[in-house]
Amino acid sequence: MARRLMLALFSALFVLYVAGPVLWLLSSSLQMESEITAVPPNWLPPHPGLHNFSAIFSAGDSAEYVNRGIAGFLPSGAANLLPSLYNSLQVGLWVAALNLVFSLTAAYAIAVIDFKGRRATLYTVLATRVIPDIALVVPMFLVIRNLGLINSLGALVVTYLAVTVPFTIFILISYFEGIPRDLYRASRIDGCGHWGALRHVYLPLSLPALVAALMFAFLTSWNEFLFALVLTQNVAAQTLPIIIAGFVMDFTTSFSFVNAAGVIAILPPVLLAVIFQRYIVSGLTAGAVKG
Amino acid sequence: MAAITLQGVTKRYGSVTAVQALDLAIHEGEFMVLLGPSGCGKTTTLNMIAGLEEISDGTLLFDTTDVTRLPPHKREVAMVFQSYALYPNKTVAENIAFPLKLRRVPKAEIERAVAGVAEQLELTPLLGRRPNQLSGGQRQRVALGRAIVRQPSVFLMDEPLSNLDATLRLSMRSLIKRLHHQLKATFVYVTHDQAEALTLADRIAVMRGGVVQQLDTPEGIYERPANIFVASFLGSPQINLLREGLPRPDWVAEGRDVIIGLRPEDVARPGEGLATLGGRVELVSPLGSETQLEVALSGGSVTLRVPKDWRVREGEALEFGVDPARLHAFDAATEQRIAP
Repeated sequence: MARRLMLALFSALFVLYVAGPVLWLLSSSLQMESEITAVPPNWLPPHPGLHNFSAIFSAGDSAEYVNRGIAGFLPSGAANLLPSLYNSLQVGLWVAALNLVFSLTAAYAIAVIDFKGRRATLYTVLATRVIPDIALVVPMFLVIRNLGLINSLGALVVTYLAVTVPFTIFILISYFEGIPRDLYRASRIDGCGHWGALRHVYLPLSLPALVAALMFAFLTSWNEFLFALVLTQNVAAQTLPIIIAGFVMDFTTSFSFVNAAGVIAILPPVLLAVIFQRYIVSGLTAGAVKG
Repeated sequence: MAAITLQGVTKRYGSVTAVQALDLAIHEGEFMVLLGPSGCGKTTTLNMIAGLEEISDGTLLFDTTDVTRLPPHKREVAMVFQSYALYPNKTVAENIAFPLKLRRVPKAEIERAVAGVAEQLELTPLLGRRPNQLSGGQRQRVALGRAIVRQPSVFLMDEPLSNLDATLRLSMRSLIKRLHHQLKATFVYVTHDQAEALTLADRIAVMRGGVVQQLDTPEGIYERPANIFVASFLGSPQINLLREGLPRPDWVAEGRDVIIGLRPEDVARPGEGLATLGGRVELVSPLGSETQLEVALSGGSVTLRVPKDWRVREGEALEFGVDPARLHAFDAATEQRIAP
């Protein structure tokens, strides 16, 4: 009994630890500036309202520094929030899609085709991820600049792919290796070339892994800060994390506005997770071969 | 239809040679069984014929066409796997239709072909099910259906019955034999089960260590085994092999060091023209239609299969007759057969 009680207590503490900041973000996004900064804090919004969100969506129409009365004020650069959201979405979707294209073909080749240097290829690809990002910032900056991509979304897409593709290859290889080899053989006999085997056997049977790879690539790109900070310097290409961080670095900080922006930043990944969660099911290969 | 010719076909994995300079001519329409213990290279040979394994050395011909470097989907062979290898995301009908779909056969024709195959294999009520809703025997019938629907000239089967229970295996065995008669295609069938090999094959290639030990008809393999390995691999219970205690056939030169083989069923009541042997019965195992005995002879113990009316008891002395012409002689050093 005591054991169960302890377990419940620690579980509750853990949930609070994980969910606490998110709940506070949600709650404060519905509060006015004065309510957020009040002591003692208002855990629940005393007068919940969407004024912060409407401020975000109308920020583009107003001047640089606007006093919103007791709701707070708009930080400079608030007008960049929606464009940066759009940038983030574009980069995220491109990275998710291209990541899948590159990783799928690479993982298929490494997992299925028996070619010389197969292991070496895999280790080389993985080795690129052993180097910390910070060590790569300057070389990456030079590469991107020489490619003429600085201040473009392309810079971010290329860079994020370098981060996500190796991991995705690794995830997909282990998934592909779990698919019975006889299915591949049967498909080859039935008339599939390598593209056919990929399309008819590996793609439909690795849906959970593909969804995981999509989510991983999108989230990595959605959250990335360091490369985005270095490789983009104007609104044309800046992503959400950079813009939101910019609000805090102003000489004053509008918590209400920043938190509402935070809620908006959370929404796309959450939506993605909700849409795709039903695909993340195992047991798709049940009945394929004896076992 | 196609004849398959392997000329010096070799498969190496690094320093290991799985199949060594294999020469094998499989006739058009023949049912060839590759028989041997696990690791003997039979499945590797089959996979090389299918194109699923690259051939390290040698040439593979279908009729007169060199297919050595041709990928599997261009070889026009069908294959049935031990694991069935059905596509789990497709229904039975889709599984069977798949090879035709890839060949862009018109839809109406596919439907007709699938219905025909389903009828033939009694799969019609199962066409809408997925593989995980089928029993082992049904799955293997679907796998057969997927193979025959294309009417290929070469069928490759990799231990297709090994995962089935004994009763099902018997009925599937006759189904495969009937299919061979109907389709008149070339069948190459891999198994480690001698009963399957003996019942199905036109010819059997017995393999060991990547080398064919003997290539002959089932009768030839059983009656005239080329060496001790083949003699012991076929026959249940195993052939009795003794250096002493069994009569020496007259075609074996005096003084030559030989091992004599006696099939357990090649015994009779003592009688005219038979050599008479005697020993003590150590074990009696009634098998219903017959009785299996273990009898201690002077040169060692032998297993015999005798009619059930022999009525022997353990511990008793037994005299039995052996036809010297039915004995097998092998050179003790080379283990090769000494032919009469």
